[in-house]
Amino acid sequence: MKGMKAGWNNAVLVLALAAVVGLWICPTGVRADIAELKIGIGVDADTLNPQEQTTTLFQNMCDLMYGSFFFQDPQGKLHPGLATRYEVAPDGLTLTLYLRKGVKFSDGTDFNADAVKLTWDRILNPKMRVPLRFGVGMVKQCVKIDDYTVALKLKYAFAPLAPTLSLSLVSPISPAALKKYGQDVRQHPVGAGPYLLKQWVKGDRIVMVRNENYWGKKPTVAKIIWKVVPEAATREAMLRAGQVDICYKPLPSNVAALKADANITVEMPLDTRTIFMGLNCQKGVTANKKVRQAFNYAVDKKAIVKKILFDTAEPMDGPVSPKVFGYFKMDKQYDYNPNRAKQLLKEANFDFSKTVHMRTPQGRYLFDRQVSEAVQAYLQAIGVKVQLRTYDWPTYVAGLLKPIDKTELEVFLLGWGPLILDADMGLYGQFTCEVNPPRGLGSAFYCNPAYDRLMKASRQEQDPQKRLVLLKKASVMVWDDCPWLWLHVEKFVIAYSARIKGLVVTPTEKFYPQYITLQ
Amino acid sequence: MLNYLVKRLISTIPVLIGISLLLFFMLRMLPGDPAQVLAGQMATPQEIENIRHQLGLDRPIYEQYAIYLGHLARFDLGRSARTQNPVSQEIWARLPNTLLLAVVAMGLACLLGIPAGIISALRPYSWIDYAVTMTALFGISMPVFWLGLMLVVLFSIILKWLPAGGTGGWQYVILPSVTLASFVVAFIARMTRSTMLETLSQDYTTTARSKGLTEKVIVVKHAFRNALIPIITVVGLQFGMLLGGAVLTETVFAWPGIGRLIVDSILARDYPMIQGTILVFGLLYILVNLAVDFIYAFVDPRIRYD
Repeated sequence: MKGMKAGWNNAVLVLALAAVVGLWICPTGVRADIAELKIGIGVDADTLNPQEQTTTLFQNMCDLMYGSFFFQDPQGKLHPGLATRYEVAPDGLTLTLYLRKGVKFSDGTDFNADAVKLTWDRILNPKMRVPLRFGVGMVKQCVKIDDYTVALKLKYAFAPLAPTLSLSLVSPISPAALKKYGQDVRQHPVGAGPYLLKQWVKGDRIVMVRNENYWGKKPTVAKIIWKVVPEAATREAMLRAGQVDICYKPLPSNVAALKADANITVEMPLDTRTIFMGLNCQKGVTANKKVRQAFNYAVDKKAIVKKILFDTAEPMDGPVSPKVFGYFKMDKQYDYNPNRAKQLLKEANFDFSKTVHMRTPQGRYLFDRQVSEAVQAYLQAIGVKVQLRTYDWPTYVAGLLKPIDKTELEVFLLGWGPLILDADMGLYGQFTCEVNPPRGLGSAFYCNPAYDRLMKASRQEQDPQKRLVLLKKASVMVWDDCPWLWLHVEKFVIAYSARIKGLVVTPTEKFYPQYITLQ
Repeated sequence: MLNYLVKRLISTIPVLIGISLLLFFMLRMLPGDPAQVLAGQMATPQEIENIRHQLGLDRPIYEQYAIYLGHLARFDLGRSARTQNPVSQEIWARLPNTLLLAVVAMGLACLLGIPAGIISALRPYSWIDYAVTMTALFGISMPVFWLGLMLVVLFSIILKWLPAGGTGGWQYVILPSVTLASFVVAFIARMTRSTMLETLSQDYTTTARSKGLTEKVIVVKHAFRNALIPIITVVGLQFGMLLGGAVLTETVFAWPGIGRLIVDSILARDYPMIQGTILVFGLLYILVNLAVDFIYAFVDPRIRYD
């Protein structure tokens, strides 16, 4: 049985949340009542229905408007939110969620078990568009126990379910708003978060104002304006000119210049997103493990990170980001060694007359095409003929999901960013037989029954220490098998006025400005 | 004149149907599945199928087109696949911004380009002519993206005179419209110069001179008026281009116009939105051409529409 300590009173919980965002202390000369905060972002939102959203930035906005059951801090620790605690049944198949009492949605509707059940019913309804439904695919149903308690019945035990409840994917929507707006609730978000939507000028800005009925600590920022500025260089210029206070994802090539500016603070925590070259484990030249290992030795990842990505990433040294629970740095590293690569290719009887087909998206990840070109050049340097093709994202993603008999994938660049700070979404979501296309996005077609057994056991295991042992074994196995050419872990770069203090930035590419102070 | 206007307006209908037909079928030839994009990377085949059904993409393509045409006849452009908002609502939210930028940029371009072209033609091969030619070459050759960013650096970051991007008061329009006008002004200046040179060498100009008219009257009433027709043609064509081709300027200056909407819609394979925006552009282009034809009649009394 695992659960949070019961019986916390509301005041303590509120203070605990404030501790997470680190701002209860306001020294003299520091403003804690900020009328307006402007944030420059690259794109406008498509929907503000948290269940429909797939983009981290807009999930971030949803967090602010809807709130979440728990808050996972940058260290991965869970803090109470709309739920005060949870309990997992001994068989791991039921999670009981205790809801916070006395909370209202921003439209005045009561937040209770009925509202939570309604949201879960919508999430689990296959007719509703919920692109990230797989994240809660283990939940069979939501049952109301009493007005402030619900039980999530699971299809199978899933150890990292609690952190999953910190996602806006499961944030409750006001039942009254759902009744009033129907599907158009995506344009009229009503939740129980610290902010509510004031104005949405399409393509231009999203304006949020403080929810005066918020159950928690009153936010220090009265109004947040999310200004759509597609060009990163312009966002930076606006930050320098004082037109925006926060610049979301500035250009990596300008990070050094921004850091040198005394008026600007740059944060770049390591992200959960790993960037890799998938290597088809069942078809083509990369079906041979030695070839896959040779490709890993052939590429100088440190040089790519330094020369192409301007140090806004770190080379992978394990199959998942160091930021997630279950990460281990591997003893064996694939450091740049072209001679070793050539030797492995020789041992594999590699046919150098064959052309390897590599594909890459363009504009999806940081310098994705340039990184692919670099990998192409490194492989060519050891005598491998490589043809590189570039695709726009819709075309690219359609090619990723074909089954093994139809797939044309040989070597392909992709990114994978777990939504929560747990290794499961990386290790299970990419490398088990179950996620081979078309059922999942494990497009490297890695399928190893021994590995699957470890990962399934890790989901059942409720003891974190025992789970770590299983995740380590699985990591070592997949790292050696090289279904990926392990490239790098991205950093989440955010630049803001140096006057701002207390901005909480997480490894899941989110940031929480509601309790900042201004110097 | 009225009859001609009505005829021209009626003739836009088959043109628009032609655009819609071409667009509809060409879009569906693009690789990439909009249902897949909407459903997300990890969606099950059933979820993708549900979305395909909701979007009507599981019907035969001719049936999809017939339904689309039926909606068009009722001035309904459909709903965006990405945002589920009515397409017309999304377009109308951005169209005034696009029009404003295009009108101001074109005004600026005419205001600078026409006098520059005239002066250049009046003193051919002089230093002023070379200066105008060089400036025009510079304007045509300079990438809009680069110029925009340079203007931002100078006027927003260094001098702090103007906002770097966004919308608001008149000051927000200056940098994007100057950037957008830079290319067009060069075109207009070059066109004005060459047509003015031509009209200034015509017999009627020589006659006017021999009659003892002042140079001002010769240039304004005789040469320039005759040179106006090709200039108006270029202005009309360039105006159409400004409406649809301002994507880069809109991107640099965070200007919420239609250009960005089209690009985002294409990347998301949002068929209704792409169809709607291109159709509106097509209509605007036709209307601009119509307006140009009518301006001809005002400028040149020899042109009559019956």
